Amino acid sequence: MNRDITFGQYYPGDSFVHKMDPRMKLILVLVFITAVFLVKSLYSYIAIALFVIVAIWGSHVPAKSVLKSAKGILVVLILTASLNIFFYSGGERVLWHWWKISISVEGLFFALGMALRLIFLVLGSTLLTLTTTPMNLTDGMESLMKPLKAIRFPVHDVAIIMSIALRFIPILIEEVDKIMLAQKARGADFESGGLIKRARALLPVLIPLFVSAFRRADELALALDARCYNATPNRTKYKVLRFGWRDAAGGIVSVFLIGLIIAINYSFWGLFGITWTV
Amino acid sequence: MSIEVNHLSFTYSPGTPFAKKALDDVSFRVAEGETLGIIGSTGSGKSTLVQHLNGLLRLTSGSIRIYDIDLASKKPDLKRLRSTVGMLFQYPEYQLFEETVLKDVAFGPLNFGYAKEDAYELAAEAIRLVGLDLDAVKDKSPFELSGGEKRRAAIAGVLASKPRILVLDEPTAGLDPVGKREILNLVAELKTSFVKTVLMISHNMDEIAEHCSRVLILSGGRLIADGKPEDLFRNEEFFAGTGLRLPHTALIRNMLADRGIHLDGNTLSADALSKAILNVLGGKK
Repeated sequence: MNRDITFGQYYPGDSFVHKMDPRMKLILVLVFITAVFLVKSLYSYIAIALFVIVAIWGSHVPAKSVLKSAKGILVVLILTASLNIFFYSGGERVLWHWWKISISVEGLFFALGMALRLIFLVLGSTLLTLTTTPMNLTDGMESLMKPLKAIRFPVHDVAIIMSIALRFIPILIEEVDKIMLAQKARGADFESGGLIKRARALLPVLIPLFVSAFRRADELALALDARCYNATPNRTKYKVLRFGWRDAAGGIVSVFLIGLIIAINYSFWGLFGITWTV
Repeated sequence: MSIEVNHLSFTYSPGTPFAKKALDDVSFRVAEGETLGIIGSTGSGKSTLVQHLNGLLRLTSGSIRIYDIDLASKKPDLKRLRSTVGMLFQYPEYQLFEETVLKDVAFGPLNFGYAKEDAYELAAEAIRLVGLDLDAVKDKSPFELSGGEKRRAAIAGVLASKPRILVLDEPTAGLDPVGKREILNLVAELKTSFVKTVLMISHNMDEIAEHCSRVLILSGGRLIADGKPEDLFRNEEFFAGTGLRLPHTALIRNMLADRGIHLDGNTLSADALSKAILNVLGGKK
């Protein structure tokens, strides 16, 4: 029923990006997000766009799949863009004015810039989840959060909780399908009526779902106990993360990218001669 | 005819790389009063087939008629269909959700448009019918019941809408031997008094042999056999190819035949088999 949840789903592959160390990818995404917020001028937008295009190309994930997962933010995108257009204050070249609302050329550019930033953010972070299995992702996070152990932060527990949560999403979706069928057979109607009626109609699905989620949690806890699982500090891993040449390359590219953007923003006005800024 | 299925085919996710043909040109008819067993290995299309009978899967090719309801029509009356065909899924106890057992059992009738008092009356009747103590359980939370009681309460939830056809998808899965026997006896009892026609999916050949008057065998989405259990279960070679095993009673009969002891008549139920064996033994003395 709800099978088309593509947002952030893993897209199996064997590409450069797939093979990178998840830790490097996580760092890269963080650097990328910072870079996106530093972006100010047209050239830096182009730099970011190029980076995104190269990254998608290097992942061998079809651009269609990447864009499809970004479709989810369309509503947010339209909302923020229109708010920015109508409520941008301080624009000088005003095109249209009514009461406290005015549309200016600066406002339009600002809205466009914001929208582009949002799109880049989503594309960058979905590329991470598209090319990294949830297991690898949590492994990477665990490894990156290791320094937090010094302040007694339960890094390993947080990581295992995260991977269990991710693992259970498809199981719970299947469960929802089953329960919905059973209640439909008893005459439940999920498709007609207004918003409130539909929300109420979901109660016979949600309650059994919660009950079964708790039951599964209990069973899983018992199964973990039965295998003497505990988060001892000396657990070894089946697959050890290794930092390779791809990661070094990724690191160099990211340093270069952020350096370039800072350079474009602050130092080389004269060099590029840009007057069009947002 | 209570059920008529003609040339039913169904494919999951058609037109995608995940497309999977689950049913392939299945046709059969069920007369009122039959107890029909549906068997087949995992993935043979049993569940897909019975979900069609209840309108849970939309008909895409072929036709289905249940009494006077034509499922091939543009807008079949799903509410009337679902109150006519009661459907009990695997592990039905996981569908319980209301505050009290009585309210939960009345969920079906209320959805099918009965007035509140009528719905509660039907619910009370269904609870008694499945052998639960009405006064003891009606105000209890369904989650306080024991496993077997929960399953009975869930069955009551299906029966409360007074279906003429009852479809059971592995009704005894996950129960202990006593619980299994109780549920099957309940189904047999319902069959004589309450519902007209019963369709039962099961992996347990002994249950099918003992309780069904007719058996459909599905394999890879195709209907490969349709007949009386005493005829079907006699053909050992045919069964070897289906990945299913014969019921124990038929196995014993065949083993005896290999040793030169031939039993007469229908010996599929344990009682009939033991009587036939005693007869042979008595005859020899």
